[in-house]
Amino acid sequence: MTIKLAIFYFLAAFTVWAAGVVVFGKNIVRAAVALIFSFCGMAALYVLLDAEFLAAVQVLIYVGGITILLLFAIMLTSRIGSKAVKVVNDQVVLSAMTGIGLLVGLIYASIAGIAELSAPPRLPETAPFLGRALLTTYALPFEVVSVLLLAAMIGAIILARKE
Amino acid sequence: MSSFADLVECLYAITAAWGIPWIIPTLVVMTVVAGIVIGYIAVAAMFMIWWERKVSAHIQVRFGPMRVGGWHGWAQSIADGVKLLLKEDIIPANADKVVFVLAPMVVFAAALAAYVTIPWAPGLIVRDLNIGILYMISISSLAVVGIIMAGWSSNNKYSVLGAMRSAAQAVSYEVPLVLSLLGPVMIAGTMSMGRLVEAQNGWWFGVLPKWFVFPQVVAFVVYFTCALAECNRLPFDIPEAESELVAGFHVEYSGMRFAIFFLAEYANMFTVTAIAATLFLGGWHGPWMPLPGLPQEVAQGLFGLFWFLLKCYFLIFVMMWLRWTLARLRVDQLMGLAWKVLLPVAFANLIVTGLVLVLGKQVLLYVVGIGIVILVAVGLALRASANTVRMQMQKARG
Amino acid sequence: MERKPPLPAGTTVAFERTGETMEEMYVNMGPQHPSTHGVLRLLLKLDGEYITDCIPYIGYLHRCHEKIGENRNYTQIIPYTDRLDYLAAMSMNFGYVLTVERLMGVKVPERAEYMRVILAELQRIASHLLWLATFGLDLGNFTIFIYCFRERERILDLFEAVSGQRLNYSFYRIGGMAMDFPDSWAADCRSFLDWFKQRLPEYDALMGENVLFQKRVQGIGIIDPKVAVDYGLSGPMIRSCGVQWDLRRRDLYSVYDRFDFETPVFDSCDVWARYMVRRREMAESARIVEQALAQLPAGDIMAKVPKNIKPPAGQIYCRTESPRGELGFYLISDGSPKPYRYKVRSPAYVNLSAVPEMLRGCLVADLVAVLGSVDIVLGEVDR
Repeated sequence: MTIKLAIFYFLAAFTVWAAGVVVFGKNIVRAAVALIFSFCGMAALYVLLDAEFLAAVQVLIYVGGITILLLFAIMLTSRIGSKAVKVVNDQVVLSAMTGIGLLVGLIYASIAGIAELSAPPRLPETAPFLGRALLTTYALPFEVVSVLLLAAMIGAIILARKE
Repeated sequence: MSSFADLVECLYAITAAWGIPWIIPTLVVMTVVAGIVIGYIAVAAMFMIWWERKVSAHIQVRFGPMRVGGWHGWAQSIADGVKLLLKEDIIPANADKVVFVLAPMVVFAAALAAYVTIPWAPGLIVRDLNIGILYMISISSLAVVGIIMAGWSSNNKYSVLGAMRSAAQAVSYEVPLVLSLLGPVMIAGTMSMGRLVEAQNGWWFGVLPKWFVFPQVVAFVVYFTCALAECNRLPFDIPEAESELVAGFHVEYSGMRFAIFFLAEYANMFTVTAIAATLFLGGWHGPWMPLPGLPQEVAQGLFGLFWFLLKCYFLIFVMMWLRWTLARLRVDQLMGLAWKVLLPVAFANLIVTGLVLVLGKQVLLYVVGIGIVILVAVGLALRASANTVRMQMQKARG
Repeated sequence: MERKPPLPAGTTVAFERTGETMEEMYVNMGPQHPSTHGVLRLLLKLDGEYITDCIPYIGYLHRCHEKIGENRNYTQIIPYTDRLDYLAAMSMNFGYVLTVERLMGVKVPERAEYMRVILAELQRIASHLLWLATFGLDLGNFTIFIYCFRERERILDLFEAVSGQRLNYSFYRIGGMAMDFPDSWAADCRSFLDWFKQRLPEYDALMGENVLFQKRVQGIGIIDPKVAVDYGLSGPMIRSCGVQWDLRRRDLYSVYDRFDFETPVFDSCDVWARYMVRRREMAESARIVEQALAQLPAGDIMAKVPKNIKPPAGQIYCRTESPRGELGFYLISDGSPKPYRYKVRSPAYVNLSAVPEMLRGCLVADLVAVLGSVDIVLGEVDR
């Protein structure tokens, strides 16, 4: 048990606990705050994997953008803070089976060492590599995502306009 | 200063020789460094609060603090800090206690964590991350979450509205802020703060220092405006304005919790000016001379630290000057400025910088020429509109 | 969101609480609020960020001024008039003594007339300075507050030298003035005017010519000139709608016909126009004071009036131009030392009644600017 492994287990447990609060929590605002913690935990795990650029972007986009959007939506819905969230619904059995099946599959894949699912080689600096890859090898998905974002922005503006 | 890195290496070597796992000296070093940074923030914030009161007073033809501590009331901030510590800690009755207590911690943690990559002097950075500037921006966006948490958990309709306004303002101004910072990053080719400062070494024609503010004037202006908005300073302080209808997000906080928000705001001010000084004003570059009795690196380091702090505090002085001179922008005007003016200008700056870097310096001449033409046209237009206002002001029908 | 057309004259403004949704809510502002300039309560009906309606609740400062007037003799009412609009006390005094003198047919000596004009115009400058200070403060400009108060302090020093008081002077008497100017007062006043004339461009540079301020005040708080006339607005409020209405020129009371001054009028009917009108009025008042000091004759300051003032039975309405607008005093005398009926037509009261009209369709953030531009003083509104 090296110290790095201990840190990894601690961070993983923290992230999973935060995610648990998000899924099973009764108070929706506390669930949103726990979501922030789980995103930060994810960012820390990215750092452990030497993907520092991705970690910073995770914090910037997910925490600094998406959770704020979620919190806005929660706060603009009146009296939502006092309603208890329904944690389970009719599809609980089906979703539990799917979730556990996925977990078993991932554990098996990591123990059996399937090549496509194991970690890639470590790089000294990921940002330049990512930049080059996005603009050469993966240029088409990059442009498609840009168009998608543009469509989303236009849609948002049209929806928010007062007639 | 390389002597500090040597010291830390020594410590690691000693503890490794004694068989202590590396995590212990690492944690010790981290705690000590964090303590020093928090100490600096506390002292700097107290100084800045006193200085703000003095600057505002002298702009307003009065004196400011004069009594506490004797010379120009220098101990006023200490007295205020002690007062805030002794206040009763009130939590509103129906507030969400966990979130209420957590919010100032999140805001302060975000403000503190940004100090990791500030380059104080040659060799004196807590950790020169290779994503330095991106890290600082990401951490600053954490503070926005803390603001929303504070507003929501106060159980106060106006607090929520104020927090949402503040968050919307912060998020809107983050976009042109990041874009304006990309200009110097592109020129230097790196995101690391230490290397960004080193890229500004040297002189043009022997007389103009190679600071990025000269090729990136537009980016600097955009960045400074966005930095003012991120810190909720006038003219962008609608979320904190006392005379507006909606109260601020921290209205229900009292005593030490409020002091933490206040401290975080001033710490944030220093961070944004540190980024400006690093990326645009050449960081710790400045004239230095060897001091007797000290090794050359230490002398260079001390002078570097002095120049860096001077640049930072000069920009802080400009921020304070603007606060006490200008009026407040309305919320919709504020948002319009971010999305309709600053964002296109930042994009234009990015495009021009990219073009010049790729196509070479000849393009720069064309760009400068067109830029001058545009500036002259804008200047004439402004002059014309100012003249109409002046004529209006002199018009009187009796 | 378009502006709704103004309500026809005579409509009573009232709305019932028909249930709030998130889009439509009622917000209460005051009576304790840093920006209501006194104890004023505004109930606002908001549609998101826009104000759809507004009801002002007044009366928090009502002190039964008019009823008290019925139980005091005519000279005893003078200190009460100071407390009406405490920021323009000299003008209140002026209006009241003019009314009684007209009723009695008393001719005031020349020197007293000139003194009255000088003090009233200095008071106009002081009142507008305070308005400018609080207006700037509401919009976030803290510095202009201190600068304007610095000038106002000098005027208050002048008033203190003359009357012994800084705020409630009770200096005018029926038939003249209480005391004469001290010896060095005219020289002090002239040096103040020289100092003041250099300060006005400073205020412009600090606030008036600042794009941020202009963007904040242009195009908001608009009221149609016809509607403004129907409401009975006066003073800078009506002159900012393009209507030339200055009682100093129209009625030519006291010795205003002997001075060369202009009354600024602006067309745009918005907050910016009101700012410009008051800013120009300060300069014009300074001109009047200069000319009056130059023409100040020697002589008595008090006419021969009996100790117990008993005007003949009759009624009179006399109006003057106070810094806020048309200040009117209506007196019914029954020949006794105390008035039978004493009524004050307060300009701020009438101007405030048009505020809901101006606020309809404004953003909440503009409320402060529009309310500040009306320049109300609750002492006068509530009496």
